[in-house]
Amino acid sequence: MTAESMNSLNKDRHLLISVDNSENAKRAISYVADFLGGVSGFRVTILNVIPEPPANYFQTDEDRKTWIEEHRSEATRMLDKFRRILVQSGFAEDKVGTFLDIRHCPSVADRIIEIQQSLECCTIVIGRRGISKKEEFLFGSTSNRIIRSGKNCAIWVIE
Amino acid sequence: MSGKQAANPGTHLSESELKDVIARWAGHDRVPKKLRVINDTSDFFRVDYDDVVVLDDHQYFIRNYEREGRFSIDEQPKFWVRRALDLSDGSVKIIKMVFHERFNARAGDLTFECVRSPKKEAVILDMVRGHPNFMQGFSLNDASGNIVRIIDFIRGKTLADHVLELGKDHEDYFYNYFPAVLDEYVELVNAIRFLHERAQKHGDIRRDHIIRQKETGLCRWIDFDFDYLHKENMFGYDLFGLGNILAYLTGRGDVSVEQLKESGSPVFHQLIADDMNIIFNHRVVNLRKIYPYIPEALNLVLLHFSMGANIFYDTTN
Repeated sequence: MTAESMNSLNKDRHLLISVDNSENAKRAISYVADFLGGVSGFRVTILNVIPEPPANYFQTDEDRKTWIEEHRSEATRMLDKFRRILVQSGFAEDKVGTFLDIRHCPSVADRIIEIQQSLECCTIVIGRRGISKKEEFLFGSTSNRIIRSGKNCAIWVIE
Repeated sequence: MSGKQAANPGTHLSESELKDVIARWAGHDRVPKKLRVINDTSDFFRVDYDDVVVLDDHQYFIRNYEREGRFSIDEQPKFWVRRALDLSDGSVKIIKMVFHERFNARAGDLTFECVRSPKKEAVILDMVRGHPNFMQGFSLNDASGNIVRIIDFIRGKTLADHVLELGKDHEDYFYNYFPAVLDEYVELVNAIRFLHERAQKHGDIRRDHIIRQKETGLCRWIDFDFDYLHKENMFGYDLFGLGNILAYLTGRGDVSVEQLKESGSPVFHQLIADDMNIIFNHRVVNLRKIYPYIPEALNLVLLHFSMGANIFYDTTN
């Protein structure tokens, strides 16, 4: 066994849990808490990608800043809550991080994959509520796009 | 006219000079006795017929407001959109004043948040300058900083009205006129791709938002001030609109189950749910069932907008 592969064995496996303020996101967190809480060798980043509406969407720049601040504070509270759930399930404090990403992004799925690659996560965990066909047609499905586009990582879809 | 005292807000022209140019372009009998000059359009209801709106020293003689038909309801007035004469050259313009609106748009039983954004339209007007398939114009700020859009008036019918006049029946239309209509449609899709490639949505793709210019026969997209908070697919709603228009053009109008039932068409009994529009479930998109001469390749494109579809378009490519 090479030193490199030894290192890779010793390194924690890094999971990226992508969440929003939906029930399916809570299920994804609960699943990871139940499945891996207290198990050594894993660390987790809880990610919330919030697509920022284009500047033209707002009447004034003040409105845009208010929108961002409201979403930032709400998302920060949510990420803290999810982090506590994982810590209570047995993850060490230093093994659970949070990442809030508010930016203009045409596709949330593409941004999640980009972050997964930059953080070198081996797994993306995402909740799915099972949207209707017409919703997928009009709005698209983040989980389906991740399944289609994700490369070199496992994808856990929690329903 | 230099050296004369400006008598009206925002313009170097005196009232009598303004009346002279109105007479030149609109005719002497159209000159109002008392002229009102407006350079702040914040309250667009105050902008009346015969007023002169002055924007950055451009003068516009206000005429009637525009109307828009929606969902078979009688045409509704758009009080913030006025027809006007450009007093610099007599050309007809559409003046779109600022009307901020935030509402939930509906597509079938789905709703999503929408806004009317003057800034978005102004940005796109700059982006599409010189493009043959978009309305042309520019924006100017009024005295209060409102983004007013000055649009070249397009003489012509909507593409939707145009196709209804083609052919003596559907078969005649399909063989003799539809190929040219389809070419026009492809041009229009390419125009939307032009926007999407520049990270802009049209936002309100409907068949009455395509005007076929009378003199040139060019089809132009109009009214791109709607914006919506997209979810995963930024362009899904635009693509939905393109699909609806393709079905309309192919069928020479919407084909609904009600029409088929009323006309006693035998196809009515052969239709299944998968043949219907994915959002407007009473509209048939599997048109080959009704018009068997529609080529399968075209029908397959239509079926991507049906309830039976499992794969959807997410780009215009």
